Amino acid sequence: MLYGRFVLDGDFPEVLRRAAAGDASAFARLWRDTHPPLLRYLWVSAGDAAEDVAADVWLEVARRIGSFRGGEHEFRGWLFTMARRKLIDRHRYEARRPVSPTGDGELLDRPAADDTGTAALDYISTETALALIATLPRDQAEIIVLRVVVGLDANAVAQIVGKSPGAVRVAAHRGLRTLRERVADGTVTSPGRGGVTL
Amino acid sequence: MRVSAASLAEMWSSTRKRNRLSPDEATAELLLSRRHLGRHAPADQRTLEMVLAAAAGPATERELAGETAAVTAFLAALPEPEPARRRGPRRLPALAVAFALVAIVALCGTAEAGALPAPLQRLAHQAINAPAPPPDAGVPRPSADVTPGPGAKASTGSGPSQEARTGKPSVSPKPTHTSDSQGSGNGQPTASDNAQSGTTDNGNGNGGTPGQGGNPSGHPTGNNGNGNGQN
Repeated sequence: MLYGRFVLDGDFPEVLRRAAAGDASAFARLWRDTHPPLLRYLWVSAGDAAEDVAADVWLEVARRIGSFRGGEHEFRGWLFTMARRKLIDRHRYEARRPVSPTGDGELLDRPAADDTGTAALDYISTETALALIATLPRDQAEIIVLRVVVGLDANAVAQIVGKSPGAVRVAAHRGLRTLRERVADGTVTSPGRGGVTL
Repeated sequence: MRVSAASLAEMWSSTRKRNRLSPDEATAELLLSRRHLGRHAPADQRTLEMVLAAAAGPATERELAGETAAVTAFLAALPEPEPARRRGPRRLPALAVAFALVAIVALCGTAEAGALPAPLQRLAHQAINAPAPPPDAGVPRPSADVTPGPGAKASTGSGPSQEARTGKPSVSPKPTHTSDSQGSGNGQPTASDNAQSGTTDNGNGNGGTPGQGGNPSGHPTGNNGNGNGQN
């Protein structure tokens, strides 16, 4: 039994065709299906910049979706390759122009007025899991998210990250081994994002 | 170089290890493929499975909160549909030009053959020197009495006939036998002229009224021959 799922499956070609023709409802279906894993992938790799990078990715999708050819798996590979390139661009940009934190971060972290307790608990649950994965070295965390959260196989991930499928497997196995050790400890401490308690 | 049996055994063993997944690696592949390990898996592996399942869990409301903004941005960034914007303006003029060319060529050909309706033929005659329409075309046919027809009236002038003025040769397939209408150029018809030419060309032989015989160019036309049924 699989956890995680592809929402569109057989409907994907029709949904993609309509979205490429400018159908907003079809695009919304694509977005609902793909945005959550995209956001999680970007969050593990880019932290708080995930929302901005995701918005850039979707703008790029809107401009180029008319020329895309392929099925749902190809679409995911295309989308996450685009996301990874934007991440790399952002890392380079930030390396050239380091930004000092301002008071805006506190404002952005304020919860929305319509947040319910249940939604917050659900989010924390997923957030905790992602925070644990984010404690891994970046390449291992990226590969595990692409495989487990996005649902791509080793070959597709290898194409996205520019490594061989064997190297992808090795990195993923190492990452899982580390995760298991940290899970066995019960408490994980992430220097960048605070402690994660299971 | 000699290889000891021990090293060969070690190489064989490492090759087998590379080709077969260890139990840990097999478990890792199950986890990476998002498959459940089952109840008999060790506790730490099951906890790890729960963590990965939570990471791949259903979308949260907070993650989907930006849908409206995303769709708005999509509509704003979407390029115009290619067929509507690019093909339309390019194909329509091409088709229109093609149709216009065909229509012009067909019109000119028909005008040169003298087969247009009289008003159009007259227009073509003035515009592109096409053959003039027969003078009696498009006008009420006179009765059989002595009233001269418009053709005769038009040809009473001393000037040259239409063909002589335009310099275009007559489109008559056969010349008439009367030297009167051809030679003098005044186109005064006679009943015998008309009868003769009509008989020669169309075989009707029924004689005509003076009006009908008033073809200034003296050549037989369809009207000359065929319209003589009014006796």
